[in-house]
Amino acid sequence: MKKLLFIITISLLFFQPALYAQCGEALKKTALQEMGDAQYIKDFSILLEKSPTEAKTGMIRFNVLLNSRNHYKFNVVNGSMNADDIVMQLYDKDELLSSNLDSGKKYKSFEFICRATKVYQLVFSFTGGQEGCAEAVLSLVKQYSEGQMGL
Amino acid sequence: MYKNFIFSLLIIASVQLFTGCSGCSDNKKSSSGDALTLPDSLITDAPLKLSEEIMNEVIGNISSPVEMAGLFKSSGVEFTQRILNNPDNVSNYVTSYKRALNLGVYSADLGYINTFDKNNVVVSYLLAVKNLADGIRVGQFFDFNQLSRLASSSANLDSLMELSVTSFNKMDSYLREQNRSNVSSLIVTGAWIEGLYLSSAIVRESGDEQLSNRIAEQKNVINILEIILSNYVSEPNFADLVADVEELKKAYAPIKITTELGEPQRIEKDGSLIFIQAEISTVHYTKEDLNNIMNVIEKIRNKIVA
Repeated sequence: MKKLLFIITISLLFFQPALYAQCGEALKKTALQEMGDAQYIKDFSILLEKSPTEAKTGMIRFNVLLNSRNHYKFNVVNGSMNADDIVMQLYDKDELLSSNLDSGKKYKSFEFICRATKVYQLVFSFTGGQEGCAEAVLSLVKQYSEGQMGL
Repeated sequence: MYKNFIFSLLIIASVQLFTGCSGCSDNKKSSSGDALTLPDSLITDAPLKLSEEIMNEVIGNISSPVEMAGLFKSSGVEFTQRILNNPDNVSNYVTSYKRALNLGVYSADLGYINTFDKNNVVVSYLLAVKNLADGIRVGQFFDFNQLSRLASSSANLDSLMELSVTSFNKMDSYLREQNRSNVSSLIVTGAWIEGLYLSSAIVRESGDEQLSNRIAEQKNVINILEIILSNYVSEPNFADLVADVEELKKAYAPIKITTELGEPQRIEKDGSLIFIQAEISTVHYTKEDLNNIMNVIEKIRNKIVA
């Protein structure tokens, strides 16, 4: 029993940095690794917490300028303590264009082939309004010429 | 003994919980400057609208060297150092205004140099960026030694580009947190103008259609930039810059961007989702329109680097 408690104590001491970093640079590094062969453009730090008066967390929104004929990738990594995986959605004003939540399944990423240069909104939230953190990365997969856009 | 041990364990566990939460809390501070967080009570079905405050957030990726780099390369035009701002000019930039604008200029030049894998010139541009960043007290975000090491081998091109862009993003976030968005807006404007200047130089040489379209499509961006810069019009030098941007906006006036609605497509490939946008925009312009725009871009850019 004492041996077990000793192991737990040592584990807690040694894993402290990992817990501390679960929402920080280490998570961002994982997100960059999961970006794959695409080229990094921008990263987003997400932290959703409830205030004492709130029953659920809300959402975080970032504005991103996306260019026509560009193929983008949005990938997200969840904090290790998250109770649920985060939902990442791309909007054009009120129109939902793409999401990592599709037919009830949550994906780690989605790709978006943009055909209109403008400002879009990248929105993060938890389905059940839980608290949690995540790191997401926007990257460039490919650029198409005008002729290729018929796809 | 056993009780003491359990007590110690609980204390350690409590410390873990607190340190874990402080990590989250710090993170919230850093993200709150970048994001608009709405509690559930304020979430409605109303359309998301861009306010000036939110528009400020978008300037971080207005001019992405990564996106321009691909277009430069596919144009087939050879690397030309003469179109870049000379790194020796750094000593001429003695005000924060000039330093911030030219920090943006050199960052776009760095993207161009990285595209063409020119290791022999990249270090002098990294040094220019470092000097200007130090001059406006954001030099801590550029690890010159690491960047120079990456620049020493062409095998590290992607890493160099990634580290440069990450450094600029961190600097941009820091400036906003420090309520120095005016400085950030100058850096972004400098990078945007230089990106268009380099594109114009390539278009003049090659007539490249993709780059010509990209220049014309920036009509959507200039309105955002004008609003952002107008926030600081009462500050010295900004009024002059806003006047220049307004002149460029006039040059963009004849450009027409039409949109048609196609069918949205969803593809699942290798476990990843790919969405193809339904809306298709087309940019319409004449050679004369483009020429006028490029003339104004060149005029503004030469004023910035003078």
